[in-house]
Amino acid sequence: MAAKEPVKRVIQQVRPILSLDRDEARRRVLNLYKAWYRTIPFIVDKFDIPKSEEQCKSKLREMFLRHKEVSDVRVIDMLVIKGQMELKECTKQWKQKGHVMNYWQETVEPKPADFLSKFMSGQN
Amino acid sequence: MLRVPLTRAICLTHSSRVLVTASARLQSNIPAKAPEKVEVFIDDQPVMVAPGTTVLQAAAQIGVEIPRFCYHERLAVAGNCRMCLVEVEKSPKPVAACAMPVMKGWRIKTNSEMTRKAREGVMEFLLANHPLDCPICDQGGECDLQDQAMVFGSDRSRFTDIDHAGKRAVEDKDIGPLVKTIMTRCIHCTRCIRFASEIAGVDDFGTTGRGNEMQVGTYVEKLFLTELSGNVIDLCPVGALTNKPYSFSARPWEVRKIDSIDVLDALGSNIVVSTRTGEVLRILPRENEDINEEWLSDKSRFACDGLKRQRLITPMLRKPNGELEAVEWETALIGVAQAVQNAGDKVAAVAGSLVDAEQLIAVKDLLNRLGSELLCTEQKFPTADGTSGTDFRSNYLLNSSIAACEEADLVLLVGTNPRYEAPLLNTRLRKGYVHKEQDIALIGPKVDLSYRYEHLGNSSSIVQDIASGKHPFAQRLKSAKRPLVIVGANALSRSDGKAFLAGLHSFANQLTPEDKNWKVWNVLQTNASQVAALDMGYKAGVEEIVAAGPKVLFLLGADGGAINKDNIPKDCFVVYLGHHGDNGAPLAHAILPGAAYTEKQATYVNTEGRAQQTLVAITPPGMARDDWKIIRALSEVIGTSLPYDNLDEIRDRLEDVAPHLVRYGRLEENNFYAQAAQLAKLQASSLQGDIDVKQRTLADFFMTDSISRASPTMAKCVQAVKKAQATA
Amino acid sequence: MRIRDLAIYFGFDKLQRLYQDVKIHGGLLMAIQKFRRFDDLKSGRLIGQDKYGNKYYENLYYFFGRSRWVEYPEYKNCEMDGSQVAPEWSGWLSYRTDAPPYADPIKIYTKYKWMLDHSENLSGTKHAYMPYSTTKPKIEAWVPKKDD
Repeated sequence: MAAKEPVKRVIQQVRPILSLDRDEARRRVLNLYKAWYRTIPFIVDKFDIPKSEEQCKSKLREMFLRHKEVSDVRVIDMLVIKGQMELKECTKQWKQKGHVMNYWQETVEPKPADFLSKFMSGQN
Repeated sequence: MLRVPLTRAICLTHSSRVLVTASARLQSNIPAKAPEKVEVFIDDQPVMVAPGTTVLQAAAQIGVEIPRFCYHERLAVAGNCRMCLVEVEKSPKPVAACAMPVMKGWRIKTNSEMTRKAREGVMEFLLANHPLDCPICDQGGECDLQDQAMVFGSDRSRFTDIDHAGKRAVEDKDIGPLVKTIMTRCIHCTRCIRFASEIAGVDDFGTTGRGNEMQVGTYVEKLFLTELSGNVIDLCPVGALTNKPYSFSARPWEVRKIDSIDVLDALGSNIVVSTRTGEVLRILPRENEDINEEWLSDKSRFACDGLKRQRLITPMLRKPNGELEAVEWETALIGVAQAVQNAGDKVAAVAGSLVDAEQLIAVKDLLNRLGSELLCTEQKFPTADGTSGTDFRSNYLLNSSIAACEEADLVLLVGTNPRYEAPLLNTRLRKGYVHKEQDIALIGPKVDLSYRYEHLGNSSSIVQDIASGKHPFAQRLKSAKRPLVIVGANALSRSDGKAFLAGLHSFANQLTPEDKNWKVWNVLQTNASQVAALDMGYKAGVEEIVAAGPKVLFLLGADGGAINKDNIPKDCFVVYLGHHGDNGAPLAHAILPGAAYTEKQATYVNTEGRAQQTLVAITPPGMARDDWKIIRALSEVIGTSLPYDNLDEIRDRLEDVAPHLVRYGRLEENNFYAQAAQLAKLQASSLQGDIDVKQRTLADFFMTDSISRASPTMAKCVQAVKKAQATA
Repeated sequence: MRIRDLAIYFGFDKLQRLYQDVKIHGGLLMAIQKFRRFDDLKSGRLIGQDKYGNKYYENLYYFFGRSRWVEYPEYKNCEMDGSQVAPEWSGWLSYRTDAPPYADPIKIYTKYKWMLDHSENLSGTKHAYMPYSTTKPKIEAWVPKKDD
């Protein structure tokens, strides 16, 4: 029966998470970036990681640029919230050295692509 | 219905003791004349059947399956289990459907009250005498009695052991290392007896006693000495005959079943590989009317435990002190590549008996790129001028197809013992002999073929006489309607094999069978890889390689002994590529571990030229890899990459070379018989000496290749047979 | 205030004690050697010795828990472990009883003839037990013959 009813076209009004428009979201992202940028010397110092401030800054830039394609304001907000959580974990030293170093670790080993390395690793 | 002449039916049996001769009601596939069909009604559905059809077959035509224990399509009708009782209208008693031919207008009720009661009664009697040991029975899960008891069995038993005498119990028999007997479970369907005497041709089984005292067995304890003994395990509807090496290892619902192809003989029997926890547990036959019907030889069925022993699981390189050392793939490939690069074009390859087509084409492409043409198979095949003998496919194939062998009326076997070289071809010949008036003659040593044949002698001069038409048997062949000449590949691998080929082939072409498409000339190959290798342009025999003295020699599973320490140069770098450490691996300077036939998706071409593919049942053990991939990887290390990276691409390459190699399951038509014979004739030489076959007795049958030589079960079989022959 | 109290007040008695201990151990060199092995320099009454050569001391000057100790024999050098203590001394050393094993009226440790001899904990040495698989391998590999 339900299938016979005309499909209701509802433009869903989404509830904003934080930002009302792109500009506000952009501001939040920049603020987060700045906050991280300022914290980097402390992170390098406190966690005693084998990375220089320059390396950390380029990593920070890389992490932000990873999401440069994201255009949905809600998604941007969510990422900002997550970024803030990460930042807090760093400043409060809830993270430990290993957790910080995780930013430099690839989460997935790249699969061998060419025939010979596939053969050596025994993958098809 | 009696097609077998009485005289022959009596002298069918070689053994002195015949406990129960099979029912003479043998069926024939060729009716004399197309008779009128009769109409019968099965559960009120009309069906038109040929007269003489049994009730059970008529019911099967419209998809009504009548329960049965003793009836089997490929065996004579016994009619002694009474499970197939059905009601026929106006008949006072129920009728055994498997044995009763239908009459016009019969109304058969397969689901009536009377039928049901009859079946329940039979089932109750069977269960009263059957042990309740399903939980420890190997047949559990694939047991006909178990299945049918679920439908027709009562929920309680009327069997009361008032005298505490216990249930009927029968002593177990020892019939060899392959078949385990628990005779208390036997329900006396006599399928095994009929199989032994009709298909296998050994009258070892029979029954003794009557009624409750009846026992199936060998009367005096002896081995079930046949190459087809494993099939009684499949035939047995209960757990009386079970697989001894597989006993207590798995349940049928736990195993993964993969359809594959057998490669231990050249027939390419269709098999199902059962695996669990990365091990091949057992191998069962898969029905294929064109090749193996539903049988399987013992070697194919039981040699699978050889896949777990003597395996090559890591690449190895020979150290300067002469010891082989396990190394990583990278090291091994670089080691081999250096040797190949230093050798220039003095590179050669020998293909053994278990090599698949993908590997053959990869090796051929690699060697051709290196500038070498030294590609050979282990087994010789006569060639006229070095190349032309294998130019025409019709020269080296079993042209008439396996299934057609039973249709022939006169068969000449030359230098072959089909019983052990290709057991399932032998069952075809036996079928023709028993049911279709086939006459068989043999040139070669006198062996037991399980049927009577005319022994023309074992001198090769007889071949010459027949070829020139002098021998009286030549006249018989000429007058036969469907003559067949089957030449063993081993006879052709003799040094004067050329003369065999030339003489017999041109003689076969002179014959004029009734049917224009009937093929007379047949070669029975013994190696699963031979046809594919010859199709691809490998040369047969290793003489050329020995003469050339290569600097690098690839042994592709070559364990047949054609290459040994003495006939290759001292400084030759030998690379063994295969799955078992057998005769070839100890020669090697580098060992590259490959996959066995259960571990790869690969193409094999059987002796009739039918391409079939195996499927991956388990992964190759340890660091072993697919064989063609090893060659592909090696080619990249050498610096001349082969242009295929996956199975589809290499199969495309196979198709370019020989399109029939990827048309799986199809039989390709061959032609150019006359031209082939002409070419062969050009350089005919004379024949000398006697003809011999490699496998004369059952003891020679079990261990013929690297897999079966590694198998402990096969070793036990050889011992058991030798012991039995010594005491007999 | 007596001089002795004054010395205690300024901690000079500790120095005196150190001097005493060094003297008991037979000079400065011997004392240093002892200190190198045990990270401590204590002197006490020798209560007994077990068959492995461990010497058991008591000095009630030290607080409960530090007042009984074992000195491992010279031949062990620095390879010392609590499990080298003989089982009959373990009770005394851990204050489960006050009587040394040769004079224990309640016999908290009895050696029966079916008991195995005590052996020390071999973890971390090359004699340590290493668990190994006892299951049969599924695939038996080919082993090349040596003479080939």
